[in-house]
Amino acid sequence: MHHRLLTVPLLLLLLAAPSFAEERLRLATTTSTENSGLLAELLPPFEQANDCKVDVIAVGTGKAIKLGETGDVDVVLVHARTLEDKFVADGYGVDRRDVMYNDFVILGPPADPAGIAGLKDAAVALGKIAAAKATFVSRGDQSGTHVKEKELWTAGGVEPVGDWYLEAGLGMGEVITMATERLGYALADRGTYLSYKDKTDLRVLVEGDERLFNPYGVIAVNPEKHPHVKFPLAEKFIDYLVSPEGQAAIAAYPRGGDPLFFIYEK
Amino acid sequence: MKPLLILNDIRFRRDDFVLTVEQLELQPGRIYLVHGPNGSGKSTLLHLLALLLIPEGGEVRFAGRRIDGGVDRQRLRRQITLVEQNPFLFDASVYHNLAFGLRLRDVRGDLQRRRVTQALHAVGLMGFESRWAKALSGGEARRVALARALVLRPKLLLLDEPTAGLDREILPIFERCLAALPGQGTTVVIASHDADQSRRLAGITLGIDRGRVISAAGDSFTQLKENA
Amino acid sequence: MGFLFESLQQSLQLIFSLDREVFLAVWTSLYTSLTAIVLAAACGVPFGATVGLLRFPGRGAVLTLFNTLMALPTVVVGLVLFGLFSRQGPLGSLGLLFTPWAMIAGQFVLAIPIVANYTLAAVAGADPRILPTAQTLGAGRLQGVWQLLLEVRFGVMAAIVAGFGRVIAEVGVAMMLGGNIRGYTRTMTTAIALETSKGEFAFGLALGIVLLGVALIVNLFLNLLQQR
Repeated sequence: MHHRLLTVPLLLLLLAAPSFAEERLRLATTTSTENSGLLAELLPPFEQANDCKVDVIAVGTGKAIKLGETGDVDVVLVHARTLEDKFVADGYGVDRRDVMYNDFVILGPPADPAGIAGLKDAAVALGKIAAAKATFVSRGDQSGTHVKEKELWTAGGVEPVGDWYLEAGLGMGEVITMATERLGYALADRGTYLSYKDKTDLRVLVEGDERLFNPYGVIAVNPEKHPHVKFPLAEKFIDYLVSPEGQAAIAAYPRGGDPLFFIYEK
Repeated sequence: MKPLLILNDIRFRRDDFVLTVEQLELQPGRIYLVHGPNGSGKSTLLHLLALLLIPEGGEVRFAGRRIDGGVDRQRLRRQITLVEQNPFLFDASVYHNLAFGLRLRDVRGDLQRRRVTQALHAVGLMGFESRWAKALSGGEARRVALARALVLRPKLLLLDEPTAGLDREILPIFERCLAALPGQGTTVVIASHDADQSRRLAGITLGIDRGRVISAAGDSFTQLKENA
Repeated sequence: MGFLFESLQQSLQLIFSLDREVFLAVWTSLYTSLTAIVLAAACGVPFGATVGLLRFPGRGAVLTLFNTLMALPTVVVGLVLFGLFSRQGPLGSLGLLFTPWAMIAGQFVLAIPIVANYTLAAVAGADPRILPTAQTLGAGRLQGVWQLLLEVRFGVMAAIVAGFGRVIAEVGVAMMLGGNIRGYTRTMTTAIALETSKGEFAFGLALGIVLLGVALIVNLFLNLLQQR
């Protein structure tokens, strides 16, 4: 009877063993692409056509690139041009291509205590927030958004320190939620903001500065650095993203809503 | 007749307590009574006879064979069974308790069931197979423990105070059971403080005091000498 | 209040419509945790029993070590195994990072001290007569220990359930080693963390309810066994 007791978990174990039938491509990307739901729309046609599974590991851009450097993923889809260029220059990444873009916006509470609504200069706007010591929630996680935010503080000649400056260390969505709850300001990508529109009181206060342009790039991990990476499949994935089919899917997302990402005119 | 078990110059020590047996021979098919006050070493002697304790010095022979290695001890122990004064029943059915030793001896299936039924019958517990051991009364538990030993048909059966605190009605069942054993070729050693039992069971009395097996009476086959 | 109630309604809908995302996260959680606990039990129970029964030099140090490991923060386990499993690490060539196997390994490490410690306590608290009784009935040392484990089976099961409770509820290891990949390594806990961050409160709540349900079922099962 005691042997039978053991059979149950063993059977479960057998049933549970994950199948290794398909090839798996590992994609490290940012929370903005994953949380927006774009990848859930974009990936299935590619997976079907190539009989594979794309494992999406959604982290900040900094971490995504680190995973590429250590060879723990096969391809990265990120948005921080300076980090991307360094990644390629150091020989870890090859074949960087532009995939799409959206833009960053500065969000703030409707009351706008720092009075930045309608400003055209993002750096000036941040300067006013700092001067007013109004609450600002930063990603603080080396993500593409965080890198952009630091660039803007530098451009405005302000060093953000003080109890009004909150470094959350969280994803974009959490930061928007936190800023909503604390009636603070935040820098966000438009895509994530739009998908949160119904859940937040924050409004877009500053937009259109050309420094707020937010391009996404896709980069394969160099097989010369990491021989085990699935380079051919990664190349196929990159080709798919920039193909007319992939580009059309990006431009059309989400169906019947405000577009979250834009493609480059050819 | 060849003795079943021979102890020669045995010395065993635990903390301050020392047990010595100069010479002790147990003949097949006989009943021995170890008689002595509490703390005199009755239980220790039984454990030595059960090959559960390893003496510091001396010689133990079982069925003519000298025992030294652990494998020997383990194999021969299967022919010896000890029932403790306060026996432990496994948290399982009565049947499972009796079948435990049989399974270890590869007695299975119908034969196993028959032997269990027989043993329960012998102790007057017919139909107790599926009862849960932990739910038995004290007297029933003692009888199950005896049946659990009987079912193995050991060459040597060791009983530590088997009748202490037992109901008056159950005592005859016990003694009838034991009296039948020599006829089946089983040697029985009973540690008891009840001297009358020896007479009722027509057994041989061994005296023990302060760790010394000091006397033998009633049978010329045992040669016990007082320890100096 | 209205917000919570609405979310609760939505989450129940998600559960009872067998929403695919919910179902996959529940399935991933269950099979990784079950696999991890089966492996942890296979190693932790014998280990706990050994330490519980044997007396050896350095035993105290082993006990202290295991008590400390019981409180091991999950993120520390995640961190260390991340270093081991990363392509840059010593086990990188196995390609385990961001697979269910990496999570299973992490959960195994988390569960083993709990299983071993609780088993140890159960074995140390067992009736001291169990081993000698099994031996007098003819059991060898290993057979005796097996019987002892059967006697304290509820303690051992409680050990396994406690380990299961820890691994199915933990989020650090699953997040760091599994990578929260949708439909592959996304467990109930990492999904709750993610969905809450996305503001999908109802989805997180649905999984929270399922997680509670699993805990309830496991404990009911344990109770049922204990009453038998």
